Formats: sequence, structure tokens, C-alpha cells
Amino acid sequence: MTKLLSPARSKVLFLGNEAIARGALEAGVAVATGYPGTPSSEVIESLAHVASERNLYVEWSVNEKVALEVAAAASFTGLRSMAVMKQNGVNVASDFLLHLTASGTRGGLVLVSCEDPGALSSVNEGESRYFARMLEMPLLEPSDFQEAKDLTKWAFELSEQIGNVVMLRSVTRMSHASGNVICGKLPVKSRKAHFEYDGSVMDSSRGPMISTPVVAKHLLHQQKLKAVEALFEKSPFNRYFGAAKPELLMITSSACFLYAEEAIEMLGLQKRVGILKLGTTWPLPPKLLEKHLRKTKKILIVEEVMPFLEENVKILAAGLANRIAINTFHGKYDETLPSAGELNPDIVAAALCHILKVKRKTLPANYLSDSQKAAALIPAREQTFCAGCPHRASFWNIHNAIALDGRKGFVCGDIGCYSMAALSPATGYHTMPTLHSMGSGTGLASGFAKLAQFGLDQPILTVCGDSTFYHAVIPALINAQHNRADITFIVLDNAGTAMTGFQPHPGLAISAMKEAVPAVDIAAICSAIGAKVALSDPFDLETTRKILTSFLADKGLLKVLILRQACALSPEKKGKKIFDVKVNELLCLGDACGCNRLCTRVFRCPALTWDRTTKKAVVDEVICAGCGVCASICPQKAIVKTEASL
Amino acid sequence: MGISNFGYPMNKKPGSQTKLKKDVLEQSLCTGCGACVGLCPYQVVYHDRTVQLHDCDLTDGKCYAFCPRTPANYGQIRESLFDISDVTPEIGAVKGYYLSRAADPALRAKSQHGGTVTALLGVAMDEGLINSAIVSSRNEELKEEGRLIEEKSQLSDYAKSKFTVSPTVAAFNQLMGDVVRKVGVVATPCQALALAKMKTVRIKDGDKINPLNLVIGLFCGWTLSVESFHRLLQLYQISPAALTGMDIPPGKNILELYTNESVTSVPMAEVDACVRTACRYCIDSTAEFADLSVGAARFGGDCDEMRGWNQIIVRSYRGKQLLELAVAQGALEIREAPASALQDLKNAAAGKKRKALKNIVEKSRSVKNLLYLSGDDPVVKKYLSMEKKKR
Amino acid sequence: MKKQLLSNTKNLILTGVGGQGNVMASRTLAGMLVDAGYIVTIGETFGMSQRGGSVMSHLRISPDSVKSPQIPRGGADVIVALEPLEALRVLTVYGNPQVCVMSNARPVYPIGVITGELSYPSEENIQVAFQRLSKAFWIIDATSAALALGNPVLSNIVMIGALAKTGLLPIDRRMFEKEIKKTLAADKCAVNLKAYDAGGEMIK
Repeated sequence: MTKLLSPARSKVLFLGNEAIARGALEAGVAVATGYPGTPSSEVIESLAHVASERNLYVEWSVNEKVALEVAAAASFTGLRSMAVMKQNGVNVASDFLLHLTASGTRGGLVLVSCEDPGALSSVNEGESRYFARMLEMPLLEPSDFQEAKDLTKWAFELSEQIGNVVMLRSVTRMSHASGNVICGKLPVKSRKAHFEYDGSVMDSSRGPMISTPVVAKHLLHQQKLKAVEALFEKSPFNRYFGAAKPELLMITSSACFLYAEEAIEMLGLQKRVGILKLGTTWPLPPKLLEKHLRKTKKILIVEEVMPFLEENVKILAAGLANRIAINTFHGKYDETLPSAGELNPDIVAAALCHILKVKRKTLPANYLSDSQKAAALIPAREQTFCAGCPHRASFWNIHNAIALDGRKGFVCGDIGCYSMAALSPATGYHTMPTLHSMGSGTGLASGFAKLAQFGLDQPILTVCGDSTFYHAVIPALINAQHNRADITFIVLDNAGTAMTGFQPHPGLAISAMKEAVPAVDIAAICSAIGAKVALSDPFDLETTRKILTSFLADKGLLKVLILRQACALSPEKKGKKIFDVKVNELLCLGDACGCNRLCTRVFRCPALTWDRTTKKAVVDEVICAGCGVCASICPQKAIVKTEASL
Repeated sequence: MGISNFGYPMNKKPGSQTKLKKDVLEQSLCTGCGACVGLCPYQVVYHDRTVQLHDCDLTDGKCYAFCPRTPANYGQIRESLFDISDVTPEIGAVKGYYLSRAADPALRAKSQHGGTVTALLGVAMDEGLINSAIVSSRNEELKEEGRLIEEKSQLSDYAKSKFTVSPTVAAFNQLMGDVVRKVGVVATPCQALALAKMKTVRIKDGDKINPLNLVIGLFCGWTLSVESFHRLLQLYQISPAALTGMDIPPGKNILELYTNESVTSVPMAEVDACVRTACRYCIDSTAEFADLSVGAARFGGDCDEMRGWNQIIVRSYRGKQLLELAVAQGALEIREAPASALQDLKNAAAGKKRKALKNIVEKSRSVKNLLYLSGDDPVVKKYLSMEKKKR
Repeated sequence: MKKQLLSNTKNLILTGVGGQGNVMASRTLAGMLVDAGYIVTIGETFGMSQRGGSVMSHLRISPDSVKSPQIPRGGADVIVALEPLEALRVLTVYGNPQVCVMSNARPVYPIGVITGELSYPSEENIQVAFQRLSKAFWIIDATSAALALGNPVLSNIVMIGALAKTGLLPIDRRMFEKEIKKTLAADKCAVNLKAYDAGGEMIK
């Protein structure tokens, strides 16, 4: 039996995201949708595993906006539904979200945003809590694993109570952390879907689902939000820990609560510092805040990343000025806590030391000096493409084509593992100088390509992954074709959403629930748009390079090259080598070769290393994935590949 | 903490590749001869451009040492290859000077002019002077490349002038260290200089066996930039693939382009615009560092009776030996050139030298900076002072 | 054999390089400990950060409460490393005079080392650092043991077997067997048990 379906009262170790999924199941969710993105993906993945058992509809949607639309449709028919995404996914969904909060919902609809303070697996640390204030949505933030489950379950009830979307926000250290959860009951009955639309326009349960009349509906929505405030005043998810009259009050939410607790424990400040932990962070319950703000004059607000809570508490405090003491607020605004990056217990402890003028116990001086000496020996471990990664070969080809072309062409980057080509430039052979949001590589390329009249004479290339292609590239590609943008557009098709764990996408003939579905062909779409389309295997260096140089020379039109080779970590490839790759020590001339270590110095595969004693290249059999590409680049033909025996 | 520079270049002493880039490529001095190509995975030729694919930080590289546009001691090279008494300032060493043509009329018909080069290579192969020849050819991407020929019968397939440079020396680089081969190379002046440097310049670990046994030089006034020339062809609606040959007929100031269907005349002014920039700075039009140099008979002079013949300059002992063998075997016909021809050739060659030096000074903006040339070389000194006087 | 219950929170850091089976090892350990009645919190990062980079899991094993998913600096009790450089990296941040270190011997070279821009510390330097910065340490060749069993990725299980033998955590073979029977396909259990035993044998 799957862990996610453990019986009521069992104590299970859940990943934060699994706890969210379990909460949704306990609430009787019927439809769950999302687009993969770290750290959010496991919510939908784990629900997909139990979809048939629990009669769910689970979908990896083409992008986050569509995911929310699909979930909203279920809500409109009275079902409970959920859309799950990472922080920037909320931006993608936000246009629909604005209109959805205005039209209202019916069945409980929860928007889950799993965010990434510190950008551990992102190229931004933008946060979406401000959407809650901007679009007037209730916001819930769990601060441990049990709460992740319980708050999710409650979010559905809340959504139904107010007839609108509720947002649940998690962070990497919650979503990708694990902890004990006591399971609740799974419902036995399921609802029947039916869409009522014959009622009056103001009838939220029977009328049409539209945002007009805008002002009237907006006022109604705001009244409901007032009712939410009242519910939040009494919510068990808001709790106070500490003395009745602490010297300092910390107000916090999410994983920061655990950091705050740990910091107090580390410093032994249990008697001096109290914590108000909020599970409901928008709208803030004013009475509860008033009660706690009266406890002391010193307040420290601990949160990631932006001072969202700090601002809202200060606004409330300003309104309460005549009833509460004049407080000193510490947080991001006064730089007690860093205004960017994620927090941890050490950072919170340092803030406490600073405010309360206490010192943290340190390690013995000689230990610290030995530790510093050892640290000086440690080389950085840069991220790179995995051994056998098709992207390395693709960028090798792209680099060579750009160099041969000689006009200083460049690649507009996009989001996927191949973003590494921009994040660690030598990994992409210094070809990819731009990187923004999903699909924006193609949009930027479309723009660069129209600058010839202002003297831009560099060839424009752009890349995107297969999943990214469907997500947000198609409109930009159509824009490029329609406006005669001369772009060499390269699809790095590695047969799945590799970076987030091989979720299927519209290009594959399988759905999230492992059902057979029609695959939507990238080449056919590009041909239909009118682009010149070619297909190649990036491991075939010669053929791929020739197509690329001919594309760069073929001016004035949109050219599409689909480089198809499955990810080395994909389930069908992982652990299976196509080739046994070895360095023939007799042929490798080592330092005496004029190659100046092309294979290790320039090619940069983690499996191809330099033996410091023989001064020759050597393949690490444990790491080598057997792609055999390095055999094509050695000028001495000293790297030998043979068909791997099974 | 060891901090990786994440692949950004570190501050280090510049390697040979960087020097080559700075001194030659960025100065538009690269002739595209291929001397720096094929030695390593970093330098390649694409169309007729030398491309540095990835950064290499090695110092004392052959790429820099062999390049005909990096500084060299020409006096030393001349001394090691020729009888110093044969050396003329205008056209280098001269042991003999003739008009020549292949005895076989069929071969002449397939050739650009007299078929002398093909006939000489044939004899050199027959006599075991060489067992392979490198000539210029085109690959399927219509790019020039050096082609290794091991059968005499294939020689005549490559007998036409291309007017664009081919990285012939790159093909020769592949053969360095080959102890079995004896190689003959057909070379433009810059290529002949590169080959001469490979024989004479000493560099660290450069002591591989050099299988070069014969260099037949080609007279060369300039070559065309492939990209500009292809643009020109496009203008005349000729596909590069359809081009079967081209020639500059005397007196008309045009370039004739031949395809199987047609002959197209292009005014020389348009052709001049396509000349490779590097050729403006070249002081050698007769391949002074070859064993023998061959050109169209009218090169320099111009008279009808020389049409269909080549001029040939015998430079080295080996060159003399080969010419004698070719005549003795009846593969090559030679005759004395008209009295004025040698002088015309010398005048033309001297003119090229003066012009090149003028261009060099214009570029460097100083008579003290002659780019790859040295003011101490007697030949350079002579023409530089003539140019100064003229001014 | 019934293990004695821990009275305080134990902080364990499991580290390695992306692709070494770090996450699987930490979840297996945590699963065993949850079964034994502990409140376990694991903090880990995966996703893009695993691509050839350092990977770290923080395990907080508490008799009574949920802990921060990040261990404070200087706060590790045990460091288990699938790669020696990563052991050193973690040790210099989370180490203290009482920490115990269990490290695999086989290096995975960072790209900067492969390209020649950076250098990898010598075996001797690593050992000296372990000696100075820990109460006790073990360096075992888990990868070779795993290769002998046919799959290098089993080195994570070899490390768990070795860790169990040291007695640093309240875990035993029976708990391991029970856990993998829940989480792994039946045909994989035997070889994982062999790997666990191989690890135990490496600790004298």
C-alpha cells in the first residue's frame, strides 16, 4: 500500500509535499493539476500515484495558467480541486487568477505555491505572498509537516466557506524536508460534478462564473474576506509560545518558525523571547495581533524573503497606535535580518544576539583555526551537466557552429537543466549570455533578430527544452515567424521534464496518471508555423554541427533544429551504458600531446578526469554514463568506445 | 577556500594562441594557409577563415612558430634552403628561369595554363622523389582543403586555379612524424613560407620527422575571400558548386567565370573588392621559399607567344634535379624565355613588394613597425627605402 | 536487540555528490528511526542543485519534537559522507570536537579539479583534517564494496551498514530489513542487505 494512503492515526514520515498531498486527499480533492517546478513537483506526483485508487483526475498541465484553469473548472462544478506550482508559476497563472478571484469559485479550490527562498533550485527567489494581498485571497503558511497536511485540508473548507480561492504557501525547507505526520481520515464519499449557470449574475452558487458586475462583486468579495479575518482570529494554526511578558516577541510563519525555535533553544532565551507563529498570514487577524503586540515593546519579524508580514503587521500596528505600546520593530527594514536569501537558525540566532546583546557559545579557538585551515583546502564543486548529458554535446555543437560562423552569435537561454549553460558559463562553452523566465529565450531572440536595421549583425540562436516548448515558447515562436525574425531555434528534446524528475509533457504519449494520450509533435507544430525544421542526434557531432552552420548561414528565416536524445538519468537510460568508454593509455599522449587536455580542460565531463600520476586522461567507470561523445573529440582517437555488453 | 573561476579566463601569461589572435588574426594578416591548423584541436579553418574553436593557453606553440605572418629570420631560412649566391631581391633564389609546359597535350587541356605543375609532380612520383602529393581541393561544403594524393593518375583532377586560398598546410601537418611518406606540396607563397619555417624554425618538442621532400610554388598576386567571392557569384547568379574554372585573360581587365553552360565576365574592379585583406600585406608573389616556382607565362609580362606556357623559376638543388629529370623523360617541354620576360617578372614582383610595404606602414602608422616583417631584413630594407624615396 | 532510546536530539548530516543516492539513504535511515518511535526531521535540497553539485541531507532525530530542517553551524553529531571532499566541506561548517565522521574513500572530482583550475586535497591532508576536527572517524572504501556487488550506487547502503555497526545511531539490521521491504521492489532487497552487511564488515 502506498504510504500516502496510510490509515487514519498512523504516524508516517512525509515529505512536506506529500503532507500537502495527504491533506488534499483528506479534504476529498477530486482534481489536482500543476506544472512541474522545484520544489513543488512531488505534490502532483504523489497524487498521480494514487489517482486510480482514489478516483482522482490528476494532470500535468501545459503550464501553470492552464493548470489553474483546469482546476477552476472542477471547482465550478462543485468538486474540490487544487493547482500546484512553484513561486514563478503563480506569475504565469496570475492573469487568470485575477479574474478568478473576481468571479469566485464553488467547490473548494486551493492554489499551492511552493517557493524557493535562496533560489536553491531556481533562477529567482521571487515570492507570491504579495499576490494574496493584491488579489485579496486568504493565505495560509504551514510551519511543520503536520500543519502542512492539516492546513491544506482546512484550506479546502475555507475556500468553500467564502466561495473563493485560498492560497497555501510552502517553501523548499518545508516542501523538500520530511517529518512525522499523524494521518487523518480519508473520505469515503465523492461528489458528483454538475455546472449550474442559470441563476442570477450575483448568485455565486447558481449564476454564471464571471467577474461582472465588477464593483458589486468586488465589494461582496471584500465582505467575505472580512469574515475570513474573523475566522483567523480563532484559528488554531496561530499560536503563541513563551512567557506572558517576554522581552522580545518574534512574529513568524512557515519554516522560519522552526529556525526561531531553534535559535531560542541554542541561546537559552526561552524566558526572554516569545514566538507568535502565524499559520494564517493574510488577511492578518487584528485582534490577535493586538493582544500579542501589547505584550512587549520589542518585536522581531522573522520571514522569507520579502518583508510581507513585517509590512502588514506595521500597517495594523499603525491603526492600533492608541491602544498598544509604541513598539520597536526589527526585521528586514532595519536590516536586523538580511533582505535577500533564505534564513536558518544561525541567522536568527545572530539577530537575537544583536537585539538582546547576548553572545553565542563558540567552538574552541584552536578547533576553529584548524577548521579554517581545512576549509582552505576545499575546492568548490561547481554544478555541471551530468555524465552522459545530451546538453553537453548540444552546447559543444552550438559553440563550434557559432565559432565557425565567426559573427559572434549567441544563444538566448531558457529554463531547464540547460540553464546551467548560463549559470556556469564554461559548462555551456560560453554561448548563453541571457536567462530569464520560461519561453523568454525565444521572445528575446525574436526581438534581437529585428535589430539588423540598427546595425546588429550577430546571428541569434535560442534554446528551449521539450517541456518548455509547450509551456510558453509557442506564442514567441509564432511571433518570430510572423515578424520574419531570423533565428536558429534549437529544441533540446531529452524526452521528458528532466530537471524536475521526468514528469510527462504534451510531447509524450503518456499522462501523469500513466494513461495513453496523444503526443503533440514539436516538429509538426514548427512546420505548421512555417519554419524550416531539421532533426538531429546531438551525440552525432559532425551532422549536428553541419546543420547548425548551414542554418546560421541561411539568412532571413526561422530555422528549427530539434536535438533529440534522452536524458542520461531518464528511467529508460539510467544505469544502462550504450558504450564502454576507456582511454587507451598507449594512444593518449597526455601532457606531451598538443591537445592541451581538450577532454578534461575544455569538454568538462565529470566522468573524464586527469590522472595526476600518469598525466593522462582516464574514464571513471563509476561515473561514466557511456554516451561515447568524448571519443569523437579526442584528436588522438585515444578515447575508445565499444558497444557495451549487457 | 579554493574558488573556481567558473570557467572565466584567468590572468595568465598569454599563450601562443592568444598571440596568434592578437598579432595575426585581429590584424587581418591571416592568409588562411593552414599552417596553424591540424596540429591541435583548437585551430580550424572554416571557409577560408582560421577559427580558434576553444581557448588554449599553451606557450611555445607551433601554431605561432609556423605561421607565415609571425616574425621570422628570413636570412636564416634563405641560407638553409638555397645557395645564397642565387638569391635576388625581387624574386628570391634563381638557379634557372624558363618557359615550360607539359608534353602531354591532354594534360595541358585539363590544366590552367601549361600543366607544368602536374607534369612535375608526376615525374617526382615516378622517380620516387615523393610518394604522396598535397594539392588543393574542395570538400562537399564547397570549402577548400588540402587533399592528399597517392596515385599519379589523380593529379590532373586538381590542376585548375581556384583563386581562393586552401589550407593546404593543414593537410601536411597531419603527416608530420610520418617516417614512410615522402611528400610533395603545391603551395602558394605564404604556404611555401610556412613549410620553410617548419623545416628551419626550432621549437620545443618540434623534432618530429618532417616528411617534406618537395615544394612546388605557385605565383600568386592575391587570393579572393571566399565569403566576398560567393557574394559576388550570387550577384551574377552563379552557384559556387556549378563553377568549373576561372581565368584572367590578358589585356581585358576581367575575370572569366566558367560553368558547363556559360562563360561570365566580371570587371576586375569588382573582383578587387573581394581580394583577401591579408594579401595586401604580402611581399612575395613568386613563392620564394619553394624548390621550384611556377606561374602563368604572362605573369609580369604579356605576349601572345607565351600563351599556353608557364614560367618556371628553379630555386633549389632539388628543384633543378626534378626539372632535369622531367625534361630528360620527355614529360616537360622547356624553352628559353624572351629576354624581357625575366625583367618584367622581377619588376612586377618588386612592385608587389613596394606596394605591400606601403600598405603595412599605412596600417601600423610607423616605418618602425612592419608588423610581421623586420626592417633589418635586406630585402625589406631595400624596398622600404625605395618606397620612402618615392614618397 | 532493543536499542536504548536517545535522550537528546541527534543531528546527522548525510552528504555526497548528486547521483550518489544521498536522498535514498537519508530517507531509509529516517524511515527506520520513525518506526523506532522517534520524531525525525529531514532537511534536504534536490532538484537542479543535485546536478553534479554537493548534496546534503540534515537528519534531526528527536525523542519528542519536530526540529528545524537546517542544523545550526557546529551542530552535527554524526557526518556520513559518500565522498571524502564533501565530508570535509560539511565538517568545516557543522563540525565540533564531539562529531564522528564516516566517509567513503573514493573521490568524485569537481569539474574545477578536472579542468586543472583547482586542486583536490591529498588523502593525507583529508585524514589529518578528520583527525583534528572529529572525535572519531572512519574512512571506508564503500564504492569498491558496492562495485563488487555489481552496482556502485549501493555504496550508500554500504555506508548505512557501516554506520549501524559503529553504534552511533539506534539502528540495526532488522530495522533496515523492515524498512527496505516497505520501500524497495522485492527483487532488490537481497542485494541491499548484502551491501548493508558488507558495510558492517568494514568496521572493526
